[in-house]
Amino acid sequence: MNGMQAPRERVFAFLFPAEADNWLAVLRVGLGLQAVLYALSLRNDWSYLLSETGQGLVGRDLTEAILSVESHFVPKLAWLVTLGAHVGLHEETVLDATWTCLFVVGCTLLLGLFCRSSAILAWFLHLCAAKSGGFVSYGVDNFMTIGLFYLMLSPLPDRYSVDWRLRKRRSKDPQLLGFWRRVLQLHLCLIYFFSGLTKCLGSGWWDGSNLWRALIRPPSNIIDPEVLVRWKDLFPVAGFLIFFLEIGYPIFIWKRRTRGAWLICICGMHIVIGLAMGMYLFALIMIVLNVAAFGPGLMQAKRERTAPQMEEIVA
Amino acid sequence: MAQGLTIFPPPLKTFSQKTEKAVSTALGQRLAASNPIHQGLATYLHIAGIEKGYGYFAPNVPGAYKLVFELRYQDGRVEYALPRVNSAAAGLRIASLLDEIGRVRSDALREYIVKMLAYSTWREHPEVQAIRAVFGLISLPSASEFGQGKRESYRFLYAYDFSRRNLPAEPDGP
Repeated sequence: MNGMQAPRERVFAFLFPAEADNWLAVLRVGLGLQAVLYALSLRNDWSYLLSETGQGLVGRDLTEAILSVESHFVPKLAWLVTLGAHVGLHEETVLDATWTCLFVVGCTLLLGLFCRSSAILAWFLHLCAAKSGGFVSYGVDNFMTIGLFYLMLSPLPDRYSVDWRLRKRRSKDPQLLGFWRRVLQLHLCLIYFFSGLTKCLGSGWWDGSNLWRALIRPPSNIIDPEVLVRWKDLFPVAGFLIFFLEIGYPIFIWKRRTRGAWLICICGMHIVIGLAMGMYLFALIMIVLNVAAFGPGLMQAKRERTAPQMEEIVA
Repeated sequence: MAQGLTIFPPPLKTFSQKTEKAVSTALGQRLAASNPIHQGLATYLHIAGIEKGYGYFAPNVPGAYKLVFELRYQDGRVEYALPRVNSAAAGLRIASLLDEIGRVRSDALREYIVKMLAYSTWREHPEVQAIRAVFGLISLPSASEFGQGKRESYRFLYAYDFSRRNLPAEPDGP
C-alpha cells in the first residue's frame, strides 16, 4: 500500500509544488507587452487583413467558414461584427474597437490592473483576430494563444500588480500557482522536443543547408547573403546545435546544473532568430514563455547548489 | 515521417502512418464534423492554441512563394504589382498566406484565394481592365551555389486571368 502511495505522492508533489507568484508576474507583464506590440505592429493593416470579403486582403469569410466546419464554438470576429450590427455599428467601427480594446487590455495587463478580466479579454480578442485571419496568421499567434490561455486560468493577481498593491485584491487559489507553472513548463518541453525531433529528421539540419535557406528565404532575408556565405562552414554546427538545444530541452532544462545555461541558450537562439529574420514578436513571445516557466527561482537554485559545496570546502 | 519526407528508413513510414491514424482518431478528427465529440475537441484545441504541430522549418525549409499581378490597362499599358501591406509585421503574414496558397491542394480554393488577392489589388487600381495573377516558387541556391554566382530563380506554378466581369479564366497549369 505504502509502495503505491509513494509514487502517487511524488506525482502530486511534482504537479502541485508550493510556488511563489514571480513566474506569473513575468508571464503577465510579458504577455501584456506582447499584446501591446502585436496591436501596434498591425495598426495600419488591421482592417485590411481582417475585413470581410470585398473589403480587405483576402476576406475573413472564407477562413471563418472553414473554421466553422471544424467547430462552431471557436471565437471569431464575425461574432463581434454581428453583435455590432445589432446596435447599428459598421464592420470597420467594430474592427477598430477590437483593435483598441486589445491595445488597452495589453496595457492593463502590463500594469496588472483588472488582471483576470484583462487576461480573459486579451485571450478572447486575440483569438478572434487569429482565427478570423487564419490564412495570415503564423507561429506567433499560436504561442500568444497558448500563453494567454494559461494566464487567463492562472491564479491572478500577482503581488507586483496594481490590483494587489493598490486595490488590495488577492488570488483565491494561490495553491494552484505551482500547478499552472508546471503545466506551462511541461507544454514548453513538448513544444521544443517535437520541434527538435522534426528538425533532426530532415537532412538539411545536419548539413546546415536548412539554416542557410531559412536566412535567405524572403521575407526573412534581412542579412545580406554575401555576408552570410562567408560563414557557411559554421552552418552545419549551428544547425546541429539548434535541434540539439530543442530536443535536449526536456532533459537539461530540469537539471539544476544545466537549467541556467539551457535557458540562456534557448533565449539567445530566439534573440538571434528575431534579429536575423525580423521575427521580433515571435522571439519575444518565446522568451516570455521560457523566462516565465523556468526563469524565476533560477538564482535561488544556484545559491542552493553552491551552499553545500561551500560547506564541503569548510569541512 | 508518415509522408516520407524525412531521413528515416521506409519501414518506419508504415509505423508512422499507423501512429498518425491513432492520434487523429484520439483527437476526434475521424469523426463527422457535426459530431459533438469532434466539435468539443476541436474547440478545445483551437482555444488553447494547440491545434497545430510544432515543426517550424522542419523537417526541411521550403522555398518561398511569390505572387505577381500583371495589371493591364485599356490603353495597352502593363504594370506589375505585388500584394501590398503597410508594415514588416504584416509582410510576414503575407508570406504566411503565400505559403498557405502553395500548400493548398484544391485548385478551386487556390483560385478563390488568388482571386480575392487580385480584387484587393484592383481596388487600388480601379482603372485596370484585366489582371493576370502569376503564382510561382522562388528556388533558393545552396550556399556553395551562391558562392559560385548562382542566384535565386523563379519557377512558374500557376496563372489566373481575371477580367472586369469578375469571371476568372481557367488556370494555366505548371
